[in-house]
Amino acid sequence: MLSSNTYIISSALIRVGRYFNKSYKDLIRELVAELNKDLPIHDYIDYVVVSNVFSDSILEQLDISTMIIQELNLTPKPAVRVEAGESSGLMALKYAHSLIKSGMTSTVLVIGVEKLVEYPTTVVNKYMVRLLNSDVEGRYDIVTVNEAALLMKLYMKKHGHSREDLTIWPIKMHENAVNNPYAQLRNRITKEQVINSQIISDPLRLFDVHPLGDGASAIVLTNNKELMSKVGTGCVELIDVLHASAPPLTHRSDLLSLPASKYLFSKLGNYGVDLSDCVLEIHDSYTILAYLIVEELGLSDRGKAPYVVTDIKNINLSGGLKARGHPVGATGVYQVAEVHRLLTSGLGSIKLNNSWGLVHSMSSIDNNAAVALIRRCG
Amino acid sequence: MTSGKPYAGILGWGVYIPRYRIKAADIARMWGFDLTLVKSLNIEEKAVASVDEDATTMGWYASHQALIRCNVDVNDIGAVFVGTESKPFAVKPSATVIADALGIPHRRLTTDMEFACRAAGEALRISIALVSSGMVNKSLVIGSDTAQASPGDVLELTAGSGAAAYVVGPREDSVAYFEGSFSYVSDTPDFWRRDGVPYPSHGEIFTEEPAYFNHIINSVKGLMEELGLRPNDFDYAVFHQPNGRFPLRVGAELGLSREKILPGLVTPWIGNTYNASALIGLAKVLDEAKPGQRILLVTFGSGAGSDAFSILVSDKISESAGRALRVTDFLMNKIYIDYGTYSKLRKLLERL
Repeated sequence: MLSSNTYIISSALIRVGRYFNKSYKDLIRELVAELNKDLPIHDYIDYVVVSNVFSDSILEQLDISTMIIQELNLTPKPAVRVEAGESSGLMALKYAHSLIKSGMTSTVLVIGVEKLVEYPTTVVNKYMVRLLNSDVEGRYDIVTVNEAALLMKLYMKKHGHSREDLTIWPIKMHENAVNNPYAQLRNRITKEQVINSQIISDPLRLFDVHPLGDGASAIVLTNNKELMSKVGTGCVELIDVLHASAPPLTHRSDLLSLPASKYLFSKLGNYGVDLSDCVLEIHDSYTILAYLIVEELGLSDRGKAPYVVTDIKNINLSGGLKARGHPVGATGVYQVAEVHRLLTSGLGSIKLNNSWGLVHSMSSIDNNAAVALIRRCG
Repeated sequence: MTSGKPYAGILGWGVYIPRYRIKAADIARMWGFDLTLVKSLNIEEKAVASVDEDATTMGWYASHQALIRCNVDVNDIGAVFVGTESKPFAVKPSATVIADALGIPHRRLTTDMEFACRAAGEALRISIALVSSGMVNKSLVIGSDTAQASPGDVLELTAGSGAAAYVVGPREDSVAYFEGSFSYVSDTPDFWRRDGVPYPSHGEIFTEEPAYFNHIINSVKGLMEELGLRPNDFDYAVFHQPNGRFPLRVGAELGLSREKILPGLVTPWIGNTYNASALIGLAKVLDEAKPGQRILLVTFGSGAGSDAFSILVSDKISESAGRALRVTDFLMNKIYIDYGTYSKLRKLLERL
């Protein structure tokens, strides 16, 4: 029997890391082997949506979704790749959600996959520039980390923060990642380590920026209630996936505001989301962005986020982009899979009773943003 | 690859390190590298070959020192090997230049070998085989490099210049003999320089786990397994030294304490001398070693491979150490130069 609701019924993740001797196909085969333990996906998947950003640049491969279908022997099932910068993962989820909501299909496999350590950082950075406007930032070889550094300087100046004040976020993220078996950096760090680490783009240091890693994760989305008894470790309901865009950074009147994210967060009330009963996964690609997102969410007054971060529970229990890692196109799918695990069978040893899950993603400095709203099943 | 029963040892050793030094911090400032990067690599300064120095001149000097130390008649030397990745001529052997300049008779094996930083390590194993089999009486092994690095590449902080030479001969005449050796080699593209390209490329982090650490750990484990030795059986451990950090890290992974590694760690003061790197480290250890001590020598070359040797010091060591210049003599004899002078000496600037 088909439901009018959409459910996430299972998830699969591999640890984000440097897989020098594994291709993107190897990573996906590992995911699918995990999913196949319940029931071969061939028997119940109608559609595959792949989130990936750098297939045509780093992997020199277009139509990667078909290559994946062929690799997995899933023909003649249809597949498509979704790319919307760093929000690709949630946009793939939105695509899959739309397929089901429209009644066109019933069960969709969403795969997020990215190989970043195929090349040295200098080469990868050249591709990362493409996440920004090629006529503006691209021409000057400016990457998001450079813009984040400017925002951090402005934030420190405007709100009178010292560099040390801002170390609390990465320390918390590394602490959280210790408990996430799928996190890339599972080590605790100290304030001294953060402020003495290598400058990446002043004042951002090594421990303020996400690491580069390969990753692959998958979730199964369905409105088929019968399937739930056969597959997965428990379900959550996907309420909605919201998506918005913002003017370029150079055109914003308030540089420390994130217009697209702000717009999406203003809609949360319509869904009755209670942030105090919510598991949050936010897009903390750079330390400063974490503070700005926390403020946009209304969890802190402007300029005060570094003081309240310690007290916010259930935020980026995965370790966030900072410590779980940021395999760009796969990240959003990781976040959703982690929230699914947290609210069902548990992520590592952490299991929560919260009613809501909120996943936030954005590309560059909020060029676009997406939010996935997840609710514990009745 | 296992070693069979070696019957060879080191008769004499010698090194050469150019006098000029540039501070790694000066290079970092020139290119805008964060100084914490320099600190994390454990590199103070590097040796810079002058305009009139190259792999052959430095190799000759190190060989000359090695021959003085063991007082071997050059007429007894039947093989000369030069391990280098900075041959002055792309086609034309360096080994013949050095061998003739030393007066070694023409009835000999003579060749250049290339395997990034470990060609001299493989030359050492070949020499052990040649001597053990009786095919030659004595062999001269030279590791010599004026390491290249693209200006502004992180490699430039460490790429140094230097040479080391070893006379390998029958075990009974040796100051330290080889108990065994082991090689571990694979096709791993972590660092390379294509034909006609002036500077090498490297795969950043790929040079670490899958390359340096994987190959060294496998060669050392292979050696220990074959000889039935454990980390505690070694008094010194000398590794290839691309920077001042890797040898200590790989040592820790293998259960070898810092105290065993530090005496042979020279890269922080002369840079990575490529084919001479581990061999200058070994020379410094031989300068101070006592009879009965056991030394672990481990080379590494990108591409990638590693050779591990177990070397047991004999009674003859004490008379040899003082006969020629010690590594510390070269380490102390230095003149600091700025980045401009360094650019001129290393021909980074082209003058029409």
